[in-house]
Amino acid sequence: MLLAVCGLIALGWTPHANGQDPRQQGPPLSGVPAPHRDINGIWRPLIGAQGTGAAAMPADGKPEHQLLYTPYGLEMAKRNKSSNGPDAVAAVDENDPAHACDPQGFPREDFFELRTTQFIQTPLKTVLLYTYGKVYRIVWTDGRALPVDPDPHWYGYSVGKWTDDFTFVIDTNGTDPRTWVDNTGRPHSEDLHVTEVFHRVDRDNMLLTVTLDDPKVYQKPWVGLKDVRFTLMPASTELLEMLCSPSELAIYNKRYGSTTNKK
Amino acid sequence: MSSLPTRLTIVVALAFPLALFAQNPAPAANAAPSPRRDLTGIWEPVRAIEGIQPSGALNMPADGKPEHDLHLTPYGRELAKTHKSSNGPDEVLPTEENDPAHACDPMGFPRQNLFEVRATEILQTANQVVLLYTFNRIWRVIWTDGRELQKDPDPHWYGYSVGKWTDDYTFVAQTNGTDARTWVDNAGRPHSEDLRVEEVFHRIDHDRMELSMTIDDPKVYEKPWVALNKLQFRWKPEKTELLEMMCSPSELNEYNRRHASRGAVKK
Repeated sequence: MLLAVCGLIALGWTPHANGQDPRQQGPPLSGVPAPHRDINGIWRPLIGAQGTGAAAMPADGKPEHQLLYTPYGLEMAKRNKSSNGPDAVAAVDENDPAHACDPQGFPREDFFELRTTQFIQTPLKTVLLYTYGKVYRIVWTDGRALPVDPDPHWYGYSVGKWTDDFTFVIDTNGTDPRTWVDNTGRPHSEDLHVTEVFHRVDRDNMLLTVTLDDPKVYQKPWVGLKDVRFTLMPASTELLEMLCSPSELAIYNKRYGSTTNKK
Repeated sequence: MSSLPTRLTIVVALAFPLALFAQNPAPAANAAPSPRRDLTGIWEPVRAIEGIQPSGALNMPADGKPEHDLHLTPYGRELAKTHKSSNGPDEVLPTEENDPAHACDPMGFPRQNLFEVRATEILQTANQVVLLYTFNRIWRVIWTDGRELQKDPDPHWYGYSVGKWTDDYTFVAQTNGTDARTWVDNAGRPHSEDLRVEEVFHRIDHDRMELSMTIDDPKVYEKPWVALNKLQFRWKPEKTELLEMMCSPSELNEYNRRHASRGAVKK
């Protein structure tokens, strides 16, 4: 049962909070001062699955959410066939690599099924443990720079630093252009640079803003998440297990394929 | 842009080029005392092949030797017959095998300790020991806040784990609630939902740690068996970067398209 639920959620059918101001969701801010330069803990984002794309830039057909592609980006975008968004294709015609259980990679980890996430700081790095995919990311905080000509990795290469006592900024490059940016198939190239800004508002809350800069694909940088609120959970909180399983997908498609292949 | 790392990953994961790992240099042991109740750091098997374990659990390989013949219960025998592995004495052709992890299903636990064990980072928080595995970039949490194992746990790919220090240098973890769809090791040893696993992490000194692991599943095996007996790990410098090794169905398809005809020939 649990696994079946995970499968449904993984395919993006949970309601999401696109269009709402994340800062207005959830309980009032506690106002209790946050520790300095510390985002250790288990944090729950007040956001949904982002089934129709990055929460601050959903693929909903509205002009203000229309991304301006370069000619190269436009060609890339045409190859990505998503079953979500205004250009949705029938489920049988889609080619979302993550639906076949390829790693969804970064930055999609921020833009699809972003759920409760644990942060662990060490003297050299900050480690993020994600619920979806049960994968981790390592963010180096020892002062190293991003690699100049990185090999591609599913989850990229990340470095981070504190810009003030409550703001932690992560820069990532070296991502793998086989992955999609979000659930609607926005593409990216190997030149993608992602900036995540975690700003701790008080002891119990922080906000995340994510900006993508990929001049090979997009005419200008764009904001995928804007001030998404995370609330601090008790230290004993157990993260759910949400893993993509080709064998479960095959069973799901066998049972329900006939009902999902209609546009 | 080069896609070499990911391509290498799949070749390593499927083809086990043992020669690459056969001449691992012996570590220069720093025999300085270990800090107490502390496993934090990046740990790598001293001999890489002992971490990869292509023929099954390191200390119980499926090599046909009588001493490695596991005594299965009648239920266990039936379960084992349904697992078609392309490794071990009962191997089948790659085209006939049904290893779920080769199709990129989660490898699960305890197989995460019995196949492709590579550099692994261990972190400790006030109430957890956290393991970051190289293979599939998976994390595991072992709760150290005194909680008990659940009596009737839901199955999870990676089970549910609790642990405690039995002395200043020995950390013992217990796991149940594993998913019976996963295999114990690369040779297709089965397990049931009643599986219980004990891991003993023993830190010898600053640079050395060993891991032992016992499998106890009375529904499948007539008695508990030792899968790892003091697997040796060495400490790695703190700035060591873990490789990225992810199972990818699209890469597997590409690999099979290019090489399946050779893989289907029986040895």
